Amino acid sequence: MGVGDYIWMGILAVFQGPEAFSLFGIGISITVLMVLAGFLLGIIVGATPGLAGPMAMAISLPILISAFGFSPDALLPVMGFLIGVMKGATVGGAVPAILFNTPGTPDAYMTTLDGYPMTRAGQARKALKLAHVSSASGDTFSDIVLILCAPFLAVLVEAYLDLPEKTALLILSLAFISSVIGGSVGKGLISMGLGLLAVYIGTGEEFYPRLSFGTQALAQGFPVATAVLGVLILGEVFRALEDLWHERRATAAAAEPAQTGDQHLHWADIRRIAPYIARSAVIGTVIGALPGIGSTLAATLGYSSGARRHARKRPQAVQFGEGAPEGIAATEAANSSVSGANLIPVLSLGIPGNAAAVFLILAAESIGGFNPGPGVFKFTAETVNPELVAAFGLFTMMMLANAMNWTIGGAFMRMAGVMVRVPKPILLPAVLLLTLTAIYVQEGRMLAIWFAIGFGVLGYLMRRVGMSPLPFVIAFILGGKLEDTARQAFAATGGDAWFLFTHPIAALFMALAVLFVALSLRKPSEAQR
Amino acid sequence: MKQFLKAAATALGLAAFATSAIASDWTPPGPIKMMIAFTAGGGADTQARLVAEDIEAKLGWQFIPEQVTGKGGMNLAMAIKDQPNDGTVIGMVVTETLGYNMRAANAGVEPSDFTAISTTAGFQMGIVSQSSKGWKTFADVVEAAKGGQEIRFGVMSPKLADLAYLLGKAQGVEFNIIQVKGGKAVMNGVMAGDMDLGFMAGIQAKGVAAGDLVNLASGLSEPLKQTPEAPTLADLGVQYNSDGYFAFIGPAGMPAEARDAIATAIADAISTEGNKSNGMITKAFGGPVVIAGDAFQVMAEKDFAAAGELMSAASE
Repeated sequence: MGVGDYIWMGILAVFQGPEAFSLFGIGISITVLMVLAGFLLGIIVGATPGLAGPMAMAISLPILISAFGFSPDALLPVMGFLIGVMKGATVGGAVPAILFNTPGTPDAYMTTLDGYPMTRAGQARKALKLAHVSSASGDTFSDIVLILCAPFLAVLVEAYLDLPEKTALLILSLAFISSVIGGSVGKGLISMGLGLLAVYIGTGEEFYPRLSFGTQALAQGFPVATAVLGVLILGEVFRALEDLWHERRATAAAAEPAQTGDQHLHWADIRRIAPYIARSAVIGTVIGALPGIGSTLAATLGYSSGARRHARKRPQAVQFGEGAPEGIAATEAANSSVSGANLIPVLSLGIPGNAAAVFLILAAESIGGFNPGPGVFKFTAETVNPELVAAFGLFTMMMLANAMNWTIGGAFMRMAGVMVRVPKPILLPAVLLLTLTAIYVQEGRMLAIWFAIGFGVLGYLMRRVGMSPLPFVIAFILGGKLEDTARQAFAATGGDAWFLFTHPIAALFMALAVLFVALSLRKPSEAQR
Repeated sequence: MKQFLKAAATALGLAAFATSAIASDWTPPGPIKMMIAFTAGGGADTQARLVAEDIEAKLGWQFIPEQVTGKGGMNLAMAIKDQPNDGTVIGMVVTETLGYNMRAANAGVEPSDFTAISTTAGFQMGIVSQSSKGWKTFADVVEAAKGGQEIRFGVMSPKLADLAYLLGKAQGVEFNIIQVKGGKAVMNGVMAGDMDLGFMAGIQAKGVAAGDLVNLASGLSEPLKQTPEAPTLADLGVQYNSDGYFAFIGPAGMPAEARDAIATAIADAISTEGNKSNGMITKAFGGPVVIAGDAFQVMAEKDFAAAGELMSAASE
């Protein structure tokens, strides 16, 4: 089994999976169909202000699992759908930003700066096409980097990191994530600490369920879906509902400027924006590869770096913020190129860097048979490593989604403009109901709903005090692994309590963890986000 | 002798249930919730789901599998205890759950609080290492340890940790015993080099056949089917063993009619050649072992009573 065989098997796994229907005698696999469905849903969700990709991923995951089951066959269709949503939402976010000056996803805020002026100037269609090309290029570039880097990083990790080092690496990631997300290191650390506290209830190696107050309800611990969906989705819905309550703003219909002039995207346009796309794609990919930083910062950096270049090189052209096509390109390429690179730490280390990655890990964990982490990339010679096939299947699906993006994404995206008219007073309760249903479907007991609502209230409070819920969620996902690895490292070193400091690489990671927190403490808070 | 008795018991059990199934026509009053105490995707989980699939195909009963993992099956035990006992809720555990783990958990329950339905397969518990280590038998491991090499020993339950400790003690060496969740995690650890050797209950069969892994010793009271020449724990000076079975249980007080009908359905599913569960069990665990009803109940209560002995031996 060479690398080529594995790649080929991964591709076959996607295209020759269980057949949905056949078209002209050619079987269309259910996986391909699910990627397409996810992608289209993602564009719609991205184009709807108030909804975001992770929300749709969260709600659809339990429903998909109950439809496809836990068999190994379920992995690719379910992951395909989620990847489709992730990619679709990235493109879709630009639509309302350009057409109505309302970002569909938070990372599309910078797109409004040049997108809406272009709409007012009667160039809406052209702006959408620009956004699409930039977004698709950034995304594709990022995926290629992922496919090239993740396996090597994983092999390196497996070759050089022993249990103590792996423990230290997890601590380093958690420290890094809590110091870079949100405006304050203190709040980030509290959020992470709460996540660890929650995940350690009822779990552990002892037969006696710890921290459960002797109750059977807590003895099994919190199901991961209730914590993640509660804090991320319900918390957001509660906050948005309260905002709505306060605002009750008159929703005046946005005026639609008449669209005139040449709406085509010419080669000359593409040549003009290409350098901006390239620069932003690199920025977004680098940012994306670091867990926890996210697409909003990438968009901001991409935009500001593009703005500086533009002002220097073409002072006579339309400047950023006044409807410059280059501005849209710089932003969209940057925020889209985060999504692929974000999976580098997921696939090579098992560490999620953003909400979308959290749901991909959750899907893999719920279905089983695929454990994101360095173990995936074991190139076995004699027997087939099914996880590696799944990994290449994943890459295939990402490239497939990119192909869909390039071909039909643009046209579909331009139709999604209507989504901005969906009224929030209807949208939010629907999301609430769907989330609770999804949790009940997965857990099958009423207690799970109460847990989820409890976590929802926690998520709401965190948002109210300006604390990012993401460190909480990532800590909840990694907490079990951290404890397991630490216990194993302790046992493997023959009961050495200082294993984190006596191994050079582990000690280095620990020092870096302290350094990150210390450095972030010194930084003025506005520079962090 | 024991092997023969077991086979005889299986045959008898099968025959008895085959006739009783004809006599009673119990059918579940609704879909059966099948709790599974093992991580989704592992060997035991796959086995449980395949059994459900085979019964569904043959009898049309409906199963709803549900993961209730953790605490060596104790989470499942505590959850299933108060479920309806009309045959609509069953759970897959290992006999260790009702024995050592229930004893160690000290959670106020004992095997009599459950209905023992049927075992499905015995462990093929080997002590396994990667063949690239160059070890041929357990004596090589002991030699390496005596030569000053630190040996990491992977286990998946406290009972096995006790056994690994006693094994080291009997051989005059000390192992660094690493406890992980499930046999698959032990196998991954051994393959990745995080552990030097470890207990695996049957998941190693494929790797051993391919020559990537080697059974250094049997963790059972008898030799392994795949590697009969490997020494048993008794040969290595340990008087305890890890004999055990995968098994289905239910809440206490399940009507005998329901219990026997389910046991028969399970026995039939795993013993019918060509069935998915039969194929899987034969490949990984050397074939089905059915100990059902009262015989299983008696065995579980005996295991529970005997668990204390190993615990005190290991804590000396």
